[in-house]
Amino acid sequence: MFQHVRRVRLGLFAIAVLGVMLLAGCGGSNSSSSSSAAPSAASSSATSSTSSSTSASSSTSSCGPKPGVAATGTPIPLGAINTKQPGTDFTDIENMEGAYFACVNANGGVNGHPIKLYKLTEPTQPAQIAADATKLVQTDKVVGESGNSSILECTINHAYWEKQNFYVIAAGIAPECYSTPNIADVNMGPRYSSDGAVQYVLSLHPSKVVFDQSNVPGTGYIAAGPAALAGAAHVPITQLTENVPINDANSVALKEVNDAGPNGAVVLNFTPPEALVILQAAQKLGLENRVKAWACSTPCDTDFLAQALGSKWNGKFFVNAELTPPDPTNTPTMNLYKAILKQYGSDVSGGIGSFSQMGFTMGEIAVHALESIKGPYTTQSVNQAFVNVKGFDTGMLCQPWTFGHYPLHIPNNTDYTVTPQDGKMVIKQGCTAISSVDPQIAAYHKAAGS
Amino acid sequence: MLLTSGILGLPSWQDFQPFIVTGISLGAVYALSGVGMVVLYRATGVLNLAFGAVGAMGALIAWQLINKAGWNQWLAYLIAVLFGGFVTLVYGMVFGPALAKRDPLVKATATLGLTLILLGVMDLLWTSSGGASRSIAFPTDNDTFTVAGILVEWTNVIALVLGLVIAVATAAFLRFTKLGTAMRAMANDREITAALGVPVRRVEAAAWFGCGVLSGLAGVLLADLVALDATTLTFLVLSTLAATLIARLRSIPITFIAAIVVGTVDAMVTPIQALSNYRDMTPFVLAAIALLIQNRRRVIAVGRQGV
Repeated sequence: MFQHVRRVRLGLFAIAVLGVMLLAGCGGSNSSSSSSAAPSAASSSATSSTSSSTSASSSTSSCGPKPGVAATGTPIPLGAINTKQPGTDFTDIENMEGAYFACVNANGGVNGHPIKLYKLTEPTQPAQIAADATKLVQTDKVVGESGNSSILECTINHAYWEKQNFYVIAAGIAPECYSTPNIADVNMGPRYSSDGAVQYVLSLHPSKVVFDQSNVPGTGYIAAGPAALAGAAHVPITQLTENVPINDANSVALKEVNDAGPNGAVVLNFTPPEALVILQAAQKLGLENRVKAWACSTPCDTDFLAQALGSKWNGKFFVNAELTPPDPTNTPTMNLYKAILKQYGSDVSGGIGSFSQMGFTMGEIAVHALESIKGPYTTQSVNQAFVNVKGFDTGMLCQPWTFGHYPLHIPNNTDYTVTPQDGKMVIKQGCTAISSVDPQIAAYHKAAGS
Repeated sequence: MLLTSGILGLPSWQDFQPFIVTGISLGAVYALSGVGMVVLYRATGVLNLAFGAVGAMGALIAWQLINKAGWNQWLAYLIAVLFGGFVTLVYGMVFGPALAKRDPLVKATATLGLTLILLGVMDLLWTSSGGASRSIAFPTDNDTFTVAGILVEWTNVIALVLGLVIAVATAAFLRFTKLGTAMRAMANDREITAALGVPVRRVEAAAWFGCGVLSGLAGVLLADLVALDATTLTFLVLSTLAATLIARLRSIPITFIAAIVVGTVDAMVTPIQALSNYRDMTPFVLAAIALLIQNRRRVIAVGRQGV
């Protein structure tokens, strides 16, 4: 009798403990799925090595005004906050921005001043996120914020930045990164990237669109964009969400394909690992040809994914790409990015890819703004310079980048579509504007007069 | 019926069929895991909550050996299985004796420590930064046949057959071999069994190693069938645990059947729109129902005996 009672107690205990652990895991995977919502994804190490070799001849001296002369002036303190927790790590972004600043500092700095980047991390805890911002401003005395990329940072801190008169350059995820006056992002984020993916499949004239994403806070905000685009095209759309991590991808893939029908399209908004398990499940079940097209938002733009999928998906799967694809691009900016990554980016673990591209781009914008300052580098002068950035050609985006005094900011609203081709992501469609059918895009164009 | 179908968005029977196929194959691997957990519990009284984490790390090691070191994949899988056996054995030998007389809750909680350590190590060594995603593919993934309109890989069949074979073999082992009998005796009373001259440490070591080997095997299979992701594989133990609880941590055949049921029901809930987002509750719900029913029967039986 006692043994039985003990066994039942043990059973209930085990269920409770694992339930709590699962929730903790979901927290991590929420973050994973927020990482789906994450700025983007990286290319493979294989790509990295190839590209590095091509860029070996590229010089990093062009990142500063005085090649080979280290800046010795008073440091300009800037801050960055990135999410870092098990399963979700955005620190490649601030690390790459740090690498860019290191290159600038080694080649003359900004008007003779080196930039000191204070890099903080947060584990998706609101209190920690708020504390990070306060520490940067009050303890580290940063005069500007550039390089933020966090699941919740914009949501938690946007009011604080407004109060402090900080204009933040970021790679955003949360709605507040795009809909508030003091934050402007170099990336499009999950909603507008999903818009891009849906917009591409709509151009293939499907009979229906199935949009599936991670079941995390903010899905309603993201889903509104694809819904508007499909509605305007008079194509029915089914919105699905999946708990992550996905334990039974076969069933998820089957459900998507059954819902879409033979002439339909399936669009995913997940992190690369989650998207990969769904696509591989579809492949294993022979479902890749059961719909007209498959598509995905930016996180799927990774050679990791292209390599894992193989040739069966050639011309069948289309991915929105927020930044200029690095593999086929041979511009001075792209070569500088690769050279800096090679020489200064030892702590950028993902190598070449969207994360490091974003860090590089934010570094470029910040330096461009700082160079315009003639007097002392104060909170006021630096943030005024940040918000005054207008029409800056980063070389990493389809369009010049603008901050501006607007109530909302979606400066990156034109993008590429890529597709896997024998283990690599190649460009399928060049720069294409996200449709103003999405009311937020329309509101931005109206505010920016673009 | 039509009303229920309309409210819940029930698909047709034809639409359900492929989900049954995928559910059975997943349930088979749950069964494989469940057998390992039950054997260990019966021999040592330890509910090994690190089962999934050990398997996950073994699978990631196999991926590393195949993709980064260029090893033959079968050799890499063997290393993964042996890693599972080794880590579990070491844990059992180091912490088993110290915890032998503690409450089963304490023993189970201790294995959570191993789970968290392994999760941390995996996160450190196989980071997901920069969009890294990994996968394992058996050669048998390419050989397929069609059932209910979907392709079924031979890997699915192997998982099902392996689950069945291991369940039968383990049940026979426990019943007919000297070591198996010793394990069953230890489950009843460790001290009396030791007093009778059974080499308790050696028997426990065999149970820990066997459980670890099965965790390695399940980890590699699940990495192919589900996903090669540390968190996913670690927490898949939840579905397995439900099956073992339904079997009251005792019966190997019931564990096998319960695992198949958990996998199948979980998959079949997916196409039902109203329930799809709650499908992760399936193992909890099934285990809770089973525990309630078993407890009710027990109360009735005890009541009849007048105890």
